[in-house]
Amino acid sequence: MQFKKLTYWMFLAPTLLAILFVIIIPFIQGINYSFTDYNGFQINEYVGLDNYIRLLQDGKFLDSMIFTALFSVVSVIGINAIGLGLALIVTQRANKISTVFRTIYFMPNLIGGIILGFIWQFIFLKAFEGLGDLTGIEGFYGWLADTKTGFWGLVILFVWQMSGYIMVIYISFLNNVPDELLEASRIDGANSWQRFIHIKFPLIAPAFTISLFLTLSNAFKVYDQNMALTGGGPFSSTEMATMNIYNSAFKLNEMGYAQAKAVVFLIIIATISLIQIYFTRKREVDL
Amino acid sequence: MKKLLLSSLFIVMLLSVVACGGSEGTSGDQVDLSIFNIKVETKDQLENLIEKYEEEFPDVNIELTTVGGGQDAPAALQAKFASNDEPNIFLLGGLSDAEKYQDYLIDVSEMESAKTAIDGTLEGAMIDDVPYGIPLNIEGFGWMINKDIFEQAGIDLASIDSYQAFVEAVDTLESNKEELGLEAVFGFSGREDWVVGQYSAHFSSAEFDHSVVGAYESPELTYEFGDRFKEYTDIMNTHNVQPILSLDYSTSVEELFVGEKVAIIHQGNWIIPTLDSIDQDFASEKLGILPFFIESDTDGKIVAGPSWFWGINGQKDEAQVEQAKHFIDWMYTSDYGKDKIMTDFKYIPSHEGYDVDKLTDTVSKDIYQMLLDGQNGIWANNQYPDGFFSTVLFPELQKYLNGDQSWEEFTTTTSDQYKEMR
Repeated sequence: MQFKKLTYWMFLAPTLLAILFVIIIPFIQGINYSFTDYNGFQINEYVGLDNYIRLLQDGKFLDSMIFTALFSVVSVIGINAIGLGLALIVTQRANKISTVFRTIYFMPNLIGGIILGFIWQFIFLKAFEGLGDLTGIEGFYGWLADTKTGFWGLVILFVWQMSGYIMVIYISFLNNVPDELLEASRIDGANSWQRFIHIKFPLIAPAFTISLFLTLSNAFKVYDQNMALTGGGPFSSTEMATMNIYNSAFKLNEMGYAQAKAVVFLIIIATISLIQIYFTRKREVDL
Repeated sequence: MKKLLLSSLFIVMLLSVVACGGSEGTSGDQVDLSIFNIKVETKDQLENLIEKYEEEFPDVNIELTTVGGGQDAPAALQAKFASNDEPNIFLLGGLSDAEKYQDYLIDVSEMESAKTAIDGTLEGAMIDDVPYGIPLNIEGFGWMINKDIFEQAGIDLASIDSYQAFVEAVDTLESNKEELGLEAVFGFSGREDWVVGQYSAHFSSAEFDHSVVGAYESPELTYEFGDRFKEYTDIMNTHNVQPILSLDYSTSVEELFVGEKVAIIHQGNWIIPTLDSIDQDFASEKLGILPFFIESDTDGKIVAGPSWFWGINGQKDEAQVEQAKHFIDWMYTSDYGKDKIMTDFKYIPSHEGYDVDKLTDTVSKDIYQMLLDGQNGIWANNQYPDGFFSTVLFPELQKYLNGDQSWEEFTTTTSDQYKEMR
């Protein structure tokens, strides 16, 4: 027994060490920095809670938090609705074509955020302008030049990127719905809508827990797509919290202040995610 | 027992892998240098120059890192320092960079390339009369124009010698837009923070009496020439390609300007290699530069000066520091280097003893001439507080351009922030 314990820890050690060095130590260090005036080079003094007090009065940071929250809500709804929709479509029949479609829907997720951002920038600026010239519809012009189109541009990009990934999760849960239940309901005369809402929907509740968690936390943490697509513009109005933090750390050289923002940001994401998990867990049903 | 042996073997293997990753292969008298380059435009040229240097001095091995363009180069440099992977030679953007890295930098005043630098060009990286950087080149910016379009519209370029004449020229272009095939007169890229920052430098340079140190030490930005700033901005915004806020650099320069869809953009001589790569004759035949008339209606100035400086890291071993100095001296004072600086890099030289006739385009010569005549402002935008132009000036001016705030609101907010950030 003694021996087993030893090997257990020995095999675990490399991973634990890695986590310790790249996550736990920087994390503690980061919290420590948030109480200083660290500028990326040296710490001059400990400023206590000053950074935290300052960020409560920082209009730009609060604006970026609100923008991020709005973005997250809209894209979480969008991604899950579309992801579930796609999953339902491709699980209708199991054949080659549906496999092909699964792959295609999943593909955007394989492209990096920066590249996606530039691709969509091209679409919004150039392709939309071309469409506008062709059709004469005003709505195609001036994308990304104001806050509203910038916001929707980001949502469209992110939904497009994440839907395929979330679809895969829903597919795996949909495939696990027992056939006998579906058959029984069919015999009882349930139509396909009723089968979805009363049988499939409750049974795939665990998928919602996972998908909502993934999309929510990812939406809050979006940075590269934001950087590549709008760069925070126009006039910083599409600047998300992560970009705001990055800018204060590396453009304004206020690393300590940026750390304080990051800590607050972390607490907010963690709280929201925990609340979400608590409530969606409650809805899950056991077979 | 066997199991214990196996697992300890595993640990040993793991450790040896880690250990191998840490060691670096250095041998003999070989000197390894690392250069951190921010000028993406001339990355290939610098690579060629380094290759030539390594041929002449086979004991030297130079590793070049280039970060820039769409990426955040200063942040990448800072990250290199933070991770103890400091380069031997790196680029400083001005006094604030020099101050930031002062502990690392060496005094360059004894270097050959510092002695031949044009008077005043060392000032941009000088702290307490000690120069810490060798000027990379001279760069100048102002209104870059397509002379061909101006001529077609019947405007005599020599006649644009005052603010009023400039406005008239814009009006003439505007009224002949159709015949000239223009989409708009101006193609100002309002999406790029650095373009906005540079544009503002014309006005702040005048306010700071065209002094680098004056700009760096000024506690506030008062918009002494704010009225002229507003007038120029309004003219530009009215006659610009819209939406101005999403017009990026590449659309502005590589499509609209080269495609002769706009007549005027706000840029500098660094676009010349790009123009050359698209249309060989454009820069030499059509490109011109117009000054800003700020302090008085007839006193035209462009901004010109060194914007980047090579700093040498002194916290490396002696051999590396000496070799780094030698490389920079070789680059700027050897005949081969001098020739390449003008013909290959297409830089406007910041050092004396260059044959300026080797510059192929007129704009570079114009800028060089205006610098010698003292008809130039300074890169005041490089002396703003850290992050001021990108996180304050840029978004606030965008709001003004979009009609979301008045000029007074713009000047009040930005000068308040300037004071706070200084």
